[in-house]
Amino acid sequence: MRVLTVDDSRTILAMLHHTLSSAGFEVLQADDGQKGLDVLAKERVDVVITDINMPVMDGIEFIKHVRATGAYNSLPILILTTETSQDKRDQGRAAGGTGWIVKPFDPEKLISVIHRVVH
Amino acid sequence: MSDLDDFKATYFDECSELLLELEEQFAAIEGGDRSNDRLNAVFRAIHSIKGGGGAFGFSDLVAFAHAYETLLDKVRGGEIPLTDDVAALCIHSNDVVADLVNAARTGVPLPPEYGADEKARFDALCSGDDDGGEPIEEFDIDFVPVMVNFDDVSEADEESADEEMVEAEADSDAGSDEPAVDRSGQWEVRFRPHSELYARANDPLLLFRELASLGQMTVTAVFDEVPPLSDFEPFGVYCEWQMTLVSPTLTEAAIREVFEFVDGNCDLEVVDLGSIGKRPPSRPAAKAAATEAADDGEPLPSFADLADTVKASTPPKQAFIPIRAEPMTVKPAVVGDAAAAAPAASEGEHRNGVQSIRVDLDKVDRVVNMVGELVITQSMLTQQMDDNLRARYQELVRGLEVLAQTTRGLQDSVMAIRAQPVKSVFSRMPRLVRELAQKTNKKIRLETIGENTEIDKTVIEQLSDPLTHMIRNSADHGIETPEKRAAAGKSETGVIRLSAEQAGGNILIIVEDDGAGINRDKVLQVARNRGVIGPDQQLTDEQIDQLIFAPGFSTADAVSDISGRGVGMDVVLSNIKKIGGSVHVRSWTGRGTRMTLRLPLTLAVLDVMLVRVSHNPYVIPLSSIVETMQTARAAFERVPSGGRVLQVRGEYVQVIDLCERFEMPSSVDEKNRFVVLCEAEGSVKIALVVDDIIGQQQVVIKSLEENFESIEGIAGGTILGDGNVALIVDVQGLKTGTLHRNAA
Repeated sequence: MRVLTVDDSRTILAMLHHTLSSAGFEVLQADDGQKGLDVLAKERVDVVITDINMPVMDGIEFIKHVRATGAYNSLPILILTTETSQDKRDQGRAAGGTGWIVKPFDPEKLISVIHRVVH
Repeated sequence: MSDLDDFKATYFDECSELLLELEEQFAAIEGGDRSNDRLNAVFRAIHSIKGGGGAFGFSDLVAFAHAYETLLDKVRGGEIPLTDDVAALCIHSNDVVADLVNAARTGVPLPPEYGADEKARFDALCSGDDDGGEPIEEFDIDFVPVMVNFDDVSEADEESADEEMVEAEADSDAGSDEPAVDRSGQWEVRFRPHSELYARANDPLLLFRELASLGQMTVTAVFDEVPPLSDFEPFGVYCEWQMTLVSPTLTEAAIREVFEFVDGNCDLEVVDLGSIGKRPPSRPAAKAAATEAADDGEPLPSFADLADTVKASTPPKQAFIPIRAEPMTVKPAVVGDAAAAAPAASEGEHRNGVQSIRVDLDKVDRVVNMVGELVITQSMLTQQMDDNLRARYQELVRGLEVLAQTTRGLQDSVMAIRAQPVKSVFSRMPRLVRELAQKTNKKIRLETIGENTEIDKTVIEQLSDPLTHMIRNSADHGIETPEKRAAAGKSETGVIRLSAEQAGGNILIIVEDDGAGINRDKVLQVARNRGVIGPDQQLTDEQIDQLIFAPGFSTADAVSDISGRGVGMDVVLSNIKKIGGSVHVRSWTGRGTRMTLRLPLTLAVLDVMLVRVSHNPYVIPLSSIVETMQTARAAFERVPSGGRVLQVRGEYVQVIDLCERFEMPSSVDEKNRFVVLCEAEGSVKIALVVDDIIGQQQVVIKSLEENFESIEGIAGGTILGDGNVALIVDVQGLKTGTLHRNAA
């Protein structure tokens, strides 16, 4: 199973990579939404994990773009969020996000949340 | 745990970058740019510091960053105006964040109340309406393998799948007239997805799987609203589900949590059958497709069958398709399984599609060096082609031309890998200028231009110190006090302009101020006193200005808290020379000073002219050569001191015979020798006399200092195509060397 992780924080990307790859996922990375789209244009992925606050193209825009692409109608997208407000999540979901993961994440929980949205 | 340490290292690395970014953004904000982009970047930086910090449990840092972030969010949202006060608070808070990051890195704790003042001010500004910093509850889902009991579901045969669907009037044994049965721990869930749910890639099957982990579950699909095939909308949603769950410990909250992601995108009813004591109106009397039990013995279709039935006409949502009876025996969330399920996923983590990678600089340097050698080999091959070969092997010649072109392209690409914008150095300067202005009670504004100009990474790393020193110098000695400026009819605020631009094969970094200019009388006096120049030596204004870089010039008078840290400007010069650059200063009395750093684009490869001095090959950087001529046609003149000058278009140029200079006998007649006219810093020309000009080529620079020692007049060494070693002539060094020699 391939996971695309999109985050402008190298720390978060590295931790996601470690957690996911040691759980047997294949991990692709992008450090902003635009690069995330570039990856999706070339690669098949099973699930996307994206941050919201990013330069160039933020997570909300990224999700909107993904959903606007026919091929990705049913691609599960998890929003990584440290936001304590419901607002951000609602915004993410309104854009087409499938679910969310709260930072900082516990490795086991991360995996279980992924399994909540992919087979 | 070493993984964690690695992550921490990455995190602190990232923090340094983010803190730098903060500096930069606030410099712009202070400068009056209060655009949302700036504020967003600041918010993101603090947000990232907080996000990563949370992962490592740096609670002080996270708490402070959170409060700070809350303020920033309100500022960027326009709720709190970005007054000078708020900006000052932010700048101060950046320092607090930096200290907290540092405390986290070093493990040296800060006082417990550190940052409390700032935090109190955040709270005051946010007027306490922060919705609290408590994080959202994390998920607490355990995919404990729970068997869903399907025993009572008779495996079904396929019903005639007409639009009537299944006539499973399978109202089970639970007759409505049955008297109160204890149904505690029994829950009924009715779930009707909206189309948005599918549009967000949520999948009912996954929800069922998760629900099944909560207790014993049965699922019934309700097809009441499935329209005739002719009316079927491709993206219409026609199916709903009804589930019963049995578990003694189940709570409504636990059930609702499963639907957390789809809240608002579905109709959800959760009924505690136990609490109402009797069974609520069961699923709509209508036709149910499958039920948990079929006591009439009539075989019911399995989920798979149903799925097949529906599949034909339902939107191609995955959600419908994989419903099968067995998978309901929910497996634990075994990731290994998931990976196995995707046979395409290869074992190793080959990361296709990664947009950028971090590579050890050593590896890049190896490539750079190898490309350098390739360049040399290529030029050697070209050298070997004489006219005879050229005429005979035209194809080979053409091939070599292509090779030369490709090599050059390769070289450029490799250099581009090492290139970085000077921004990373420039962005540290606003803060420096701020501090300097405060300490000196001057008003100084820093302007930066061309910060996206790219230079070799090594050059950039070496740039920070010299630049810092030059700016200190400008702020301390250049810019006058506001009173003096006002008296001179200038604006009270002095300007230091820092700019970078590419000029041919060089990068120019210019530090310019609109201060008083260099006090030449004083410089001259100091230089004489210190023996930097002879007592009677006459110097032009430009030469006097240049003296501030002379070794030993740094003056006691000039030692102040700021620029006189025991390091003179000569250190700036030597640092810059080390990376193959040069410094030139120009000053206008009362109007300001301009210092120009000329840096090579790359450190590795140099375009040179190959010359012969005595019997040895030497190379002269092509970038410094203006023209060449035969000695026979050069107009030399003797000067009283015994030296020679060359008259070039009315200008007298100092002549240096490299044979004499390097103390070797010339191998040819005087009239058959060549003059190479070079330009040193500040458009000062110098004429080098050599025995022969061999040609032009590219060389890879090898440092002499690393292997031998620094020699005046020699910038380094190189290995030629034929294996011979050639020394690289340091034009600027020869020039200044001669100056000092004369002075001595």
